[in-house]
Amino acid sequence: MSTETRALHAVSAPRSARALRPSGGPSADVTRLLPRPLLVAIIVVLLIVVLGPVLYMLFASVNSDVSVASGAFLPTELHLDNYLKVWSTVDLGTGLTNSVIICGAVAIVCAFLAVATAYVLVRYEFRGRLTFLRGLLGLQSIPGTLMLLPVFVLFSSTASLLGVQIIGTRWAVFITYLTFALPFSTWVMVTYLRGLPKALEEAARIDGASSWRILTQIVVPLSWPGIVVSGIFAFLLGWNDVLFASVLTSPESRTAAVALQVFGATQEGGAIPLYGQMMAASLICAVPVVVLYLVFQRYLIGGLTSGGVK
Amino acid sequence: MRSRFALAAVAGIAAAGLVLTGCSGTSGGTSTASSGKIDGTGKTLDVMIAANSLYPTQQQQWFKDVSAQFQKETGATVKFETFASANDELTKIQTSVLSGQGPDIYDLGTTFTPTAYSTGAFVKLSDADWAKVGGRDRFVPATLGISGPDKSNEVGIPFLSRPFVLAYNKDLLKAAGIDKPADTWDGLAEQAKKLTSGDVHGMAVAYADSFDPWKFVWAMAMQQGNTILDVKSKKATIDDAAVKKAYETYFGWLTDDKVVDPAAIGWKNAQAVAAFASGKAAFLPMVSSSSQVSLDKSPVAGKYAYAVMPTVPPGATKLPSDGKAAATIISGDNMVVAKYSKNQDLAFALVKMLTSTDNQVKYTKTFGDLPTNADAAKQIEQGNDLIAPILEAGTKAYGTPFTGAWGDTQLALVNVVVQSIPGLSAGKVSSSDLEAKLKAAQETAQNSLNKAK
Amino acid sequence: MSNSTMTPPAGVVTTGASPAGSAPAGGRPGRRRRGERNRPLWMLLPGGILMLLIIVVPLVVAVLMSTLDLDQYTLQSWLQAPFIGLGNYVEAITASPLLRSIGISVSFAVIAAVVTMPIGLAAALATQNRFRGRALVRSLFLIPYVLPAFVVGTLWRTMLQPGGVVDSMLGAVGIHSGLWLNGPLSYWSLIIVQIWTSWPFFYLLVLAGLQSVDHEVHEAAAIDGATWWIKLRYVVLPYLRGPILLALIIAFLHNINAFTLPFVLFGVPAPQDVEVLPVVTYMTSFQSFRFGLSAAMAICSLILIAIPLFVYLRAVKLDSGEEEQR
Repeated sequence: MSTETRALHAVSAPRSARALRPSGGPSADVTRLLPRPLLVAIIVVLLIVVLGPVLYMLFASVNSDVSVASGAFLPTELHLDNYLKVWSTVDLGTGLTNSVIICGAVAIVCAFLAVATAYVLVRYEFRGRLTFLRGLLGLQSIPGTLMLLPVFVLFSSTASLLGVQIIGTRWAVFITYLTFALPFSTWVMVTYLRGLPKALEEAARIDGASSWRILTQIVVPLSWPGIVVSGIFAFLLGWNDVLFASVLTSPESRTAAVALQVFGATQEGGAIPLYGQMMAASLICAVPVVVLYLVFQRYLIGGLTSGGVK
Repeated sequence: MRSRFALAAVAGIAAAGLVLTGCSGTSGGTSTASSGKIDGTGKTLDVMIAANSLYPTQQQQWFKDVSAQFQKETGATVKFETFASANDELTKIQTSVLSGQGPDIYDLGTTFTPTAYSTGAFVKLSDADWAKVGGRDRFVPATLGISGPDKSNEVGIPFLSRPFVLAYNKDLLKAAGIDKPADTWDGLAEQAKKLTSGDVHGMAVAYADSFDPWKFVWAMAMQQGNTILDVKSKKATIDDAAVKKAYETYFGWLTDDKVVDPAAIGWKNAQAVAAFASGKAAFLPMVSSSSQVSLDKSPVAGKYAYAVMPTVPPGATKLPSDGKAAATIISGDNMVVAKYSKNQDLAFALVKMLTSTDNQVKYTKTFGDLPTNADAAKQIEQGNDLIAPILEAGTKAYGTPFTGAWGDTQLALVNVVVQSIPGLSAGKVSSSDLEAKLKAAQETAQNSLNKAK
Repeated sequence: MSNSTMTPPAGVVTTGASPAGSAPAGGRPGRRRRGERNRPLWMLLPGGILMLLIIVVPLVVAVLMSTLDLDQYTLQSWLQAPFIGLGNYVEAITASPLLRSIGISVSFAVIAAVVTMPIGLAAALATQNRFRGRALVRSLFLIPYVLPAFVVGTLWRTMLQPGGVVDSMLGAVGIHSGLWLNGPLSYWSLIIVQIWTSWPFFYLLVLAGLQSVDHEVHEAAAIDGATWWIKLRYVVLPYLRGPILLALIIAFLHNINAFTLPFVLFGVPAPQDVEVLPVVTYMTSFQSFRFGLSAAMAICSLILIAIPLFVYLRAVKLDSGEEEQR
């Protein structure tokens, strides 16, 4: 019992902003949450579960389509040229470029909008705050199929009203994905910010800093993990969306997700879908996300990094 | 205060804009000279067409060639936009119809022409319009059967033909002493029984496919004189002995005749093709010329041939008096011109170009789909034994009922199979079970037909 | 941007929410923070405007569409489609498979969300500490979530087909499971595949949450000699309450609206056991072309789901979150 109360006391004590980055050695042991054997077991099992089907994808990507169709696991023939063919079968290069640009922009803008919105929601009181929060979550529950036609109509009528072209440009999907990602990203930041101590912000406020300065110079640096996770979700929402991209894009602004569809298209009458190229293209499309994650994942560690206070 | 007002204003503008587009009307075409060339300098036509994943680079080249040729003829260029699947195209059509803007020409699957027609958003071809695309007579008569509900209300100009036929393994048939596939369904089942031995089955049928099953049922029903939907009297005839016989035969290949691999209850079309392509099935019904690509790359390359599917219904030895010798649905692509297009005459000029003999022959040689131009069809036929049966099937094609309710009906017919699969896997679909499902399908189809205008 | 410390006019209400009728600050005794001054409510504007325009306005249009007899015949001039008031709603509830599919969808969503949670949690806990190759392991963990839904669907459909990989492997150990993609097992196939593809979602959220655990806390627990289980349960998990509760509800909502996976895995028409809500509304809208009916169905389901949603929010106090403050 005393262990817990003391631990809880430690929790409620004021903290100092020390660098949390765990280096190897004793501090690493301290932060370990699971005993080593359990840890290893979990990781191994998960890796098998994750990589098994991915391995199947790899094998299928170099197999012949007929073979994949009949359910073979190991390749019967080697078709390494699938990885080359995918680029010409659909305009995968354009698709990937568009996807990366659009989703990257969405991720960045969404993450920061989310921080700003969440900051106000968490730190300040105002009438309608709870309603706003609940409304955000409610917006999350709206299905995409319901919104497709109305959103399309909205864009096309705005376009004719303003005399500009919206549909078919990257802006159309950018705005759509950004807006759809906002409710959830905001909520992620809300949850995350609630866990941040207010001490630093209070100190800065006493010093006379404005809300904007507090936000950008204190809150944001401390919330990198939350920002990165918000950004990832926003990125993936756009990356995998097919429904809206298929109606809002033109061949120039096509995203990778739409381009991928061509491989899976079942053609009536005996043509086998291009399974090999589809798997190859899917693996290729997974690469940018994994790479981006590898790049940004160091921001996921760190929590109360130093530099928040002068 | 300011922010609230600003928001309300923005919302109000958006709402107003939406209301404005709700009243989209039709727009007229370009004015043109009464005869001779159309001048389209500086204009661009937007064409929506299916992405050809079998011949992607050739399709890109074809796009360029078409645009160049059209530019020489009229001065206008052509921009192609592709879609991946029929669902995508339908969604695109809906959004375009709703907003009154989009591609000028759509290349539509024949089965979806009735649905597009029912939106009222596509140009009905008058006699003058038919002249602009080269005249009705230039087309193979059978391909015109799904252009509209009747001759005076046609929207579809036939562009490609992809009739369905039966593929068979020549070696397996020869080994069993069979000359060629039977032209009755019963006869075909008998042959399949002879061809089933070891791990080779007589037929490869894709029971879990979303598209194949209804075509079998439709064909067998048509051959017994049942057209599934009677558009004139607005009656659905699914709850009928003919349709029941069709399903029983279709299921029977698996459960009674045992000429189909038991795993076929989970097969989509691709798996059925794969089974045939690896030599594990002798007959592969319900394929079109698109199968050539897959089969030529497979172990059965050179060993397969096509045949027209049976035209005599199950349980009979010759066609009943009221039966229709439907070898296949009218299948292929129609081209439709959108009413909202501002370049309608230019669009007709493009269609005329694409359905001319030379263009059609060239298209067939590159992509394999059959031409709808009668002259081109004659030219193709010479010296090509493999596709001769496909051409023949095309002349024996019948259209599915031309009504906006066909989409639902088709789904209902497939649904009977989907919900029967657990029963099939257990070994049998009982008669009462089938009847109940047919009743449900009848209801769905009838409701849809009642709503049809 | 200027460093504004100007007070916005008192009583300014923020975007989207309806001010009328909502009790101030949730009815709690005024625990004023920062005072009424210096509230940078303008920061809510960009997000708020976007959401109002792109989500709320189309939603209103969708509601309008649900009161019209909007189908393929009337699509062209949709505002002139006949107004039938609640006709679509009545048909949705009585004559369509809506209620049944809501049942299937909700149960599927709950099960998938609840089972995914411990998996994601375990993964986050296990990769908390640095070890060689941790970055790689973490990125590999992401892969199921990164793959597009239709790829996952096609992948598993090929694996689960009769005589496919899964059947052969199970057969090798003597298990004959029957049909995965049709019949009663199909429901479980959907759940399994959904779990496979969405557990990294929990993993990411918990990972972020874990970062807010101060180092001192770990040290204190270590000094006190707390076992890993006690430390986990009483010290660390309270930090994770917020992210986990959020992830549960979001995963639930996402699973309910997940369309692509069941669509690709089972096709349309879907077998009875997996007739989930989004597939039914999609079919009604894009294959039967009954947009009015499909909008009504979607809105019905929205309402039916919103109720337990808000009950959940209040019950776990996710929205107010006051009780989570330390």
